[in-house]
Amino acid sequence: MSEMFSNTSMLEMYIFETTQLIGQLENMMLEVEKKNSYDEGCVNEIFRLMHTIKGSSSMMLFNSIAHLAHSIEDLFYFIREQKPLTIDNSTLCDLVLEGIDFIKVELEKIKNGSEPDADADYLINRIKEFLLFIKGGTPNLKEIIRPEKNKKQQYYIAPDVKQETEEVNYFFANIKFQKGCEMENIRAYTVINNLKDISEELINFPEDIIEDEKAEYIRENGFDIYIKSKSSKEDILDLINKTIFLENLTFKEIEEKEAKEIFRKPEKIILEKEIKIPKLESTDEKAEEKQSTPNHVAQNVISVSVTKLDQLMDLVGEMVIAEAMVTQNPDLKDLELENFHKSARQLRKITNELQDIVMSIRMVPLSTTFLKMHRIVRDISKKQGKEVELQLIGEETEVDKNIIEHIGDPLMHLIRNAVDHGIEDGDIRETKGKNKAGKIILEAKNAGSDVLIIIKDDGKGLNRDKLIEKGLEKNLINKPIEELTDKEVYNLIFHPGFSTKENVTEFSGRGVGMDVVVKNLEAIGGSIHVDSIEDKGTTITLKIPLTLAIIDGMNVRVGEARYTIPLMNVRESFRPVKEQLISDPDGNEMIMLRGNCYPIYRLHEFYDVKTNIKNPMEGILVMVDQTEKSSCILVDELLGQQPVVVKALPNFIKNTKNIKGIGGCTLLGDGSISLILDVNGIEYGE
Amino acid sequence: MKTVLVVDDAAFMRLSIKNMLQGTDYQVVAEAENGKEAIEKYLEHKPDIVTMDITMPVMTGIEAVRELVKKDPNAKVIMLSAMGQEQMVKDAILSGARSFIVKPFKQEILLKTFSQFI
Repeated sequence: MSEMFSNTSMLEMYIFETTQLIGQLENMMLEVEKKNSYDEGCVNEIFRLMHTIKGSSSMMLFNSIAHLAHSIEDLFYFIREQKPLTIDNSTLCDLVLEGIDFIKVELEKIKNGSEPDADADYLINRIKEFLLFIKGGTPNLKEIIRPEKNKKQQYYIAPDVKQETEEVNYFFANIKFQKGCEMENIRAYTVINNLKDISEELINFPEDIIEDEKAEYIRENGFDIYIKSKSSKEDILDLINKTIFLENLTFKEIEEKEAKEIFRKPEKIILEKEIKIPKLESTDEKAEEKQSTPNHVAQNVISVSVTKLDQLMDLVGEMVIAEAMVTQNPDLKDLELENFHKSARQLRKITNELQDIVMSIRMVPLSTTFLKMHRIVRDISKKQGKEVELQLIGEETEVDKNIIEHIGDPLMHLIRNAVDHGIEDGDIRETKGKNKAGKIILEAKNAGSDVLIIIKDDGKGLNRDKLIEKGLEKNLINKPIEELTDKEVYNLIFHPGFSTKENVTEFSGRGVGMDVVVKNLEAIGGSIHVDSIEDKGTTITLKIPLTLAIIDGMNVRVGEARYTIPLMNVRESFRPVKEQLISDPDGNEMIMLRGNCYPIYRLHEFYDVKTNIKNPMEGILVMVDQTEKSSCILVDELLGQQPVVVKALPNFIKNTKNIKGIGGCTLLGDGSISLILDVNGIEYGE
Repeated sequence: MKTVLVVDDAAFMRLSIKNMLQGTDYQVVAEAENGKEAIEKYLEHKPDIVTMDITMPVMTGIEAVRELVKKDPNAKVIMLSAMGQEQMVKDAILSGARSFIVKPFKQEILLKTFSQFI
């Protein structure tokens, strides 16, 4: 990378923008493939996107990306100009998507600080071959070169040709450009164009210098200019010397007599001072305008690094705590402070608003993640020869940025599974009386402080018997089969190493994955549920929290220690009566409530905390929802409910000991530390 | 200090040019994402020099040059083109752009091109 761009913000901007453009491009290609037709707007847009990527990449000296983008751009230039009637759409899409993948991989390398070193030549050659191929099938090839505008003589005269009273000088110049600077004809034209500002008259040779055919001549011989000007020799020389890529300049003053000869000839046409203005572009450019207008409504958006947002979030969290520390300061207890409380209320209101705003900044719609799934579905279904339609619902639903990053992979896996294992082959579907094309619905919706993501396919569904058989084989079932609920059976698929598919395919079925999916989800406080009807389809529901940063918590006390239970897990809290308490044959404490039995976990025993309250009837039981069941946790007392800022446990604690059931920590209003319980971790080990 | 208006739909390119002009006698006074915006910004800031991308949404660079020159015949517009856009560059120049630069380019070329018009 050249030093000029060592500036990291440039690189960041490059990566950010290019990633975005690639994403747009990918979606557009998928849409095109689906519709199996190219409208003009689409082709224009693809052309433009590729063009921009090429420009930026070449500036960053990422040549393989630039060349690849260039070849795709060429391809679409041809399609745009030539509108070939028949294109092998599927090959075209494959090629472009392959190109997109290539660029994605390279971008990833750049992101990770390594050089994008892959060789795109093979792909570029294939694209070029394809271009040749479609060119072959299209008549009137020549039209690719846009029709020339009818050219006229290029003699320029300044508007006031009338009577020169001042002294005029005549000059001759021959200008040659450096080798390889390209577009010599246009360069020459601009030189002449600039000179005309200070010239009375100007003649150039070759004539019609902007014509493409002249480029070769100028490259070899340079071009001649005769100038009639009131300006001094120095001024003119100075201007010419500023010419870019100037290789060689011959410049001399010429005698008036000789000059008059030269300037006489064109006198007749000297009034052709009008520079012709080419006609407006053909309709396709207009189509581009219309097409892209809605996408490019001027928006005031800036991009902010996530680290900064994280810091901001952290600070706001600290502030929320500090605010509580001030307003609930023990020193203020029992004092009559009317004005103080008024200001404190104001402060609280503002901190709350601030917190809301910061939260909302971090919220990102799921659409980017969802849209990626189109590509996944396309790739697998194409490979497997299935027809699958993916429908997205509610992709505008927003979740925290951190969470989005965690659900991409699980989603991808689930979608893959749905296509690979769920949707049957077309013929089988037809015999079952279903549509030949399978359908997968990916839906997101808000549910309180959670977001539900539902993946629904209309495939063959889960087979209870098959699952049980497999479960027994793998020794995963430790209950009589008749007692297994459907849910328990379905949940078998989340066990590590469980796979019912006999044949492992490229995409799924290695039996790794489903358990990883669950783990990934649990890491962000989410959960997963399966529902299935055989031959009708499978529905998988992911429940994920909106945000990880702030949760509503129930603060409880056990002895001296404070704990916070996430409110979303709390079902109820109560003081038990003696009749409800029972114990099972193993001596485990249970509570009988409304006909159901729940285990009791004594937090003081669990964490070995000293407390005087050992009798459940003196303390409080908090019933919490765990993944599979509900349990009751015995605490000394409830301290109250408040939003808390979740902080990860410091690394030195995490590294030394893995404490079960602790999800993080937080600061309470009085400055003391409270441990946040991860209720799923609270159970007695085997 | 000479003022510059940078027109490009790619934020990356705008940033590149801005960086290149940092510490020189040129100052980027405004940026625009398309031709239409370019004209508005031009009339607002009256910059000494305009750098103009060709392929842009809403209104292309070529159309923008045409409009700009109509509004101000002295507008100094420099086209930024990429390889393979000869015809468009030509159209732009014939429409009144003063010069052009082919991407990728270095600071030196940018400054030298500017200096022709100051």
